[in-house]
Parts: sequence; structure tokens; C-alpha cells
Amino acid sequence: MAHVSELEASLRPPGMNMPPYPPKAITLASGEVMVVRQVERDEIPILLEAIYPLLWVERDFYDIVAARLFGELLAYKRYRVKDEYVLAGLIDGVLAGMVNGRLVDQKTGMSYHTLTIRRGLRVGSHLFAAKMEYHIEHCGQEEVLIVAESPIGFRRWMIEYPLEKRFEVQHELGGVPSWVLPRQTYYDAKARLVSGRRPVPEDLMRTAEKIVLPEQEMVVRQVAGEKEEKA
Amino acid sequence: MNPVYVAGAGMTNFGRSEWSLIKLASVASLSALHHANLGEIPIDAVVVANMGAARINHQTALGSALVDQLALYPAAAEAVENGPASGASAVKVGVQAIAAGMADAVLVTGVERMRVVNGLEGTDFVASLSHPEAEYIYGVTLPSLAGMFARLVMDRFGVERKHLAMVAIKNHENGTKNPYAHIQQTVTMEGILTAPEAIVNNPPIAEPLHLFDCCPVSDGAASIVLVSEAIAERLRCPKIRVAGIGQATDTHAVHEREDPTDLKAVRLASQAAFSMAGIGPSDVDVVELHDAFTILEIAESEAAGFFPRGEGHLALERGETRLDGRLPINPSGGLKAKGHPVGATGVAHLVELTWQLRGEATGRQIEDASVGYACNFGGFGNNVVATVLRREA
Amino acid sequence: MRRDVVYGAKCTSCEAVSYPAHAVCPNCRGESFEAVEIGGAGKLLTYTDVYALAIDYETRYLRLAIVELEDGRRVTGQLLDDDPKLGKAVKTTIGVVREQGGREILGLQFVPA
Repeated sequence: MAHVSELEASLRPPGMNMPPYPPKAITLASGEVMVVRQVERDEIPILLEAIYPLLWVERDFYDIVAARLFGELLAYKRYRVKDEYVLAGLIDGVLAGMVNGRLVDQKTGMSYHTLTIRRGLRVGSHLFAAKMEYHIEHCGQEEVLIVAESPIGFRRWMIEYPLEKRFEVQHELGGVPSWVLPRQTYYDAKARLVSGRRPVPEDLMRTAEKIVLPEQEMVVRQVAGEKEEKA
Repeated sequence: MNPVYVAGAGMTNFGRSEWSLIKLASVASLSALHHANLGEIPIDAVVVANMGAARINHQTALGSALVDQLALYPAAAEAVENGPASGASAVKVGVQAIAAGMADAVLVTGVERMRVVNGLEGTDFVASLSHPEAEYIYGVTLPSLAGMFARLVMDRFGVERKHLAMVAIKNHENGTKNPYAHIQQTVTMEGILTAPEAIVNNPPIAEPLHLFDCCPVSDGAASIVLVSEAIAERLRCPKIRVAGIGQATDTHAVHEREDPTDLKAVRLASQAAFSMAGIGPSDVDVVELHDAFTILEIAESEAAGFFPRGEGHLALERGETRLDGRLPINPSGGLKAKGHPVGATGVAHLVELTWQLRGEATGRQIEDASVGYACNFGGFGNNVVATVLRREA
Repeated sequence: MRRDVVYGAKCTSCEAVSYPAHAVCPNCRGESFEAVEIGGAGKLLTYTDVYALAIDYETRYLRLAIVELEDGRRVTGQLLDDDPKLGKAVKTTIGVVREQGGREILGLQFVPA
């Protein structure tokens, strides 16, 4: 590890021992396989580049999610947020979506964001579930605090898991009251909502070694859902 | 009755649109008008098909609005609402005007802009076609009616989830060959049914129907130009005749149907259309059905007369309804992949059939198609309009 | 008319009962009816768990069914049964089936007989 000055060290939050996220492979509706794996700090610049064009897509709250996520990813890269993790979904190495959050303490996780680039294949559902899996199964936490910017998207998770109200707790994202996924609820919902195979076969893992930037035009089109208007 | 011909056809992309309701309608209309190349020939009447504008888009009197957009005044104009069968009903109104000699050229445009409201509002809006006291108040939505229907049909005739998946797979593949289709994504049996991940990829919507058994919510518009024989001859366009059009109704509440697995209105409407056309199902080369739910493609293919009752899924299994099969069904991608802007669908069926019969369905052309059939399924099968198109020259 | 009863219409000419009510008897085209209570014992004709819900519902899914009553009439309602099977014997009861603008709406529910 590079030598870190005392001043810099004082600005870095002390870290917990966070276990690595074991990668998994998920077959999507299209038959394509998505690898879900943890993102290293030196890979953050690619993620930033991928979400940059979304900063101006108002639809479905992409702009605010992208903007906040941008800051969180930078903070992760530059060691300015305590115990943050980032997971990415890669299809043939191409970035399909990402999720992030952090561990507040041993017991409690704080879910940050979910951003889907490749739409129509439930990538967001898979990645959100992977996040919950990380907090509860791999980090052994008791509960995860959750909010969302998009009310309709959130309603789906709120009802599907289901989540419980924990309105007395302020979520770190804008101080809104939180919802929570308790450990037991996660396990009760697991068969329905969490999937994927481990370990990831070697040759598949190799395709996911280097994160490939999706075509920018495709990103905006997929996210905004628009095609070139035709007559 | 005077003969009626389709002289032009056009549509917008189906999917998510930033365009207003009337802009969607006018873009599709202009596309059809240009295709028809009417020149100095005037449009006598405009018929607009739409289900939800008053509720979702806060707009009414769409016939008048479209006439104005297209500067077609003083043409006659009105909007027709028949739930999901609004499109074919509007076509029927246009056909009747020319058949009766009251008009020579009619523009029929179906349009829907649904995605301005969220999914809950959209579902509730469509649910408004159910019976208010006997169905709606129980939380009945259109998918729930389809789910109950599917369970019964599957139990009685041995249709399995894999057959439903085959419909989705076929139509998604066809959709990738249709540049106007909402969904441009193929799916596989593994991804939507057999892999362990399928439970997340393809969650239940109204069991036994799952996500990939249900068509998407779409914005879009489709338009055709109907003309009299004299005009068709003047235009020297390929003569695509509206050979037959039939309509039938059934009980409102699904539980009051004589046989809840039987799409009686589809059968009666189809028989009427074939009878008017003087042909039968075996003369048809290409079919567009109303697969708002995959089970309906199977059930309609039987009720329309293409396969014996209870054998539609077997024909599907044998590949007969694929693009390269004996009787291609939904070459456009169907509602499942092409999308379903409710008011536009019935007209879009005929746009696809017109292109197919004119040899203009690039990328998904059914060779030598000369007779086409379409079924527009209103309500939950209690109001059906069936149409037969035939290329005469 | 009681709020906690679901009514069908009995034709005064031919005595056929239809549910829902119509303005004209589907059987004999008569136009005069008397209200009769609909419900009782029957069997499950078909059912579904619907997740695509309309507004007013916050539950994860709703179990709906069509039941064929002993007298041959069919009804649609909410199924309160953890183990539904086609043809299973059920009976009707009345309960809150929807809340609209704060108002509770009563309707048919089915429970195992």
C-alpha cells in the first residue's frame, strides 16, 4: 500500500473489516449471463464515465441518482466515506448496472443507490438483491436501511420484500425517514428475490476482469427508453 | 356494399415517446397519407381510435383535434372508443362509410399515450373496462382476468407454461426484425422459464401468467387510408381489399360467459369476417392476433378457426406459427414485443398486414402473402372485431 | 338494500336469476326484477394471485377467484384460502374488498367450505 501522510490519514475514516463480495453469475431473461462482482477503487473512473451522461436525464429520477452516485463513487475512490462498497453487473464485461452502500456498524447497513444501464432484464432487481445479500449474508448484519428517490420504483421493493418503516431514523441520503430490511425478512424473501450461481466459472470470470464502458449513445437510449423517432 | 381498399399505411415507433398525443397521431397519419400518395384527392372523413385520452391525457374530441392538426377541415371526424378494440372498431366505421357510398377516402388513426401516468394509474385505467360492481371493486385488473382464464385453459387443454414462453420467445424474435417495435430484445427459454434465475427474471404478474406473458405499456400511433374502388384505381396502388370485417360481443362480467374457456366473440366475429370475404381460415397466409397476454395468442388462434379447439399450443410447439412456419402469427412481434398503445393496436394490425400483402415488410416478409387476418380483442373478449385483408392485384 | 349483502336480480317473468343485474333479462327479455341475495356454497372454478394491482391496494398480491355456486350462478370475488385447488368446495362471506377514498367497500369473499 502506498505511503499515506498523517494529514491524509486523518481525513480517511477508519475502516471495518469488510469481507470481499464473492462474485456470482446470473442468467438473464435474454439468455445472457451477468457477472456480479465488487468494484475496485481503480475501476471507479470507468463507472463515472458511464453515468456522466445520465446527469441530465430527468426521466425516472436518473439525474439525481446519477449525481448522488457520482459523488459516492468518487468518495469511495478517494477514501472519504467509511466502509463503502460498490458492486457492478457485467454482461460480457460491459457495465450493465451498479449498486452501492456502506456499513454503518456491525449491525446496520446503509443502502445507497441502484442504477441500471441495461434495461428490460431486471438488472436492477438482481443488483439490489445482491446488495442485500452482501449486507446480511456476507457481512452478517442485522438490518439494512433503505430509501429511494423514485417513488414508483421504491414502492415495488417496499411491497415485494416487504420493507418495514423505520421513520424515526434519518437516512444519510437527504435526511429522509428510512425503511428497513430486517435479516429475517431477507431470508424469508430470498428464494423469490435472490438468485445467482457460485463460484463463477473461470472463463466467465475472465470476461468480467476488465470493465468495459457501454456505448454512450446506447446508455442514454436504454435509460431514457427512447428510440430515434420514426415516421 | 361498395368495395373498400387500403391505399396507405403508416405508424410511429411504439414505446416511450416524448411526443404529445396529437403529435403521435399526426405523425402516423402523415406517414399513411404519404404512403397513399393521394395528391389532389381529398380526405372525406377522419376516424380516431383511442381509449384513454380523456382520463390519462386530459383531452377529448380527438377527431376534431386531428382534423385540425392535419388541416383537413371540413372533413367529417369523430373518435371511436371500444377499449382495446378501438382500433378495429374505428376501421369498421371508416369501412362502413365507404361501403355505404357516404365517403370515398377515409383516414383512420389509432393513438394512445399511456406512459404519462405511472404503472398503477395505467393498470387502474385499463381495469375500468371490467364490470364495476361485479369485478372492478374486487381489485380485478385485466391481468387478473387473463390469469384466471389461463389457469382454466391450461387445466382443461394441457397448455403448459413452456407454451406461453414459446409465444413470448417467438414474438420477441419477430420484434427484433420490426424497427417500430417497442421491445428489441430476444429472450430464451432458459432465461424466462428453466433457469433458477427465471423466478427473478420472470416474476408472477397474475398467476399462472408471468412478466414475459404480458405485453408492455406503450405510446404510439398507427394509421391507414381507406379508399373506394374508383380512387384505388386512380392511385394505381396495390389493391389491398378489406375483404371482410366482423364483430361480436359477449357478457361483460367474465364469470357470466357461457363457457369461460371459450372465446365465443372471437369465433363469431371471425366467422362473420370470413363469410363476408367468402373465404375460410385455410386461405389465410399471415395472421396478426391480440396477444396482450401470451395465452390469448394460443386461444385466439383456435377460436378464429386456424386450429382445432385445444390444439393451438400443439401447432405452436411444432413451429407452425413462426415466421418461417406454415401459418405465421404476429410477424410484427405481436403486442408482446411490438407494444400495445391501446387505441392504436387494432389499426397497427392492419398496417402490418398491409405491408405484408404489399411485400413491404422488410426483414420479416412472409413470401407471397396475399390474404391476411387480424383479431382485435376488446374488453376481456366481450367485444371482438376481426378483419380479413386480401390483395387483389 | 343492505350494504353487507350482494344482490343479484330475479326476473319476475321467468324467475331466472342473473348476477350482475341487467336491465333486460338475458333469458326471456323481461324488464322487471326483484333483488335476491347472492351467495352460499359452491366450488372454485378458477383463481389467480395478481401482483399487478390497481391503486387502493398496498398488499403484495391479491388472490381473486371465480366460484360456481350450487345453483349454477357464478360470482367473482376475493379468495381467502391458503391452499386453493380447482374444484375445491368453498362458501361465500362478506368482507372489505377495497378501500376507496377512505370508504370501505364490502363484497364477496370465498372461504373453504
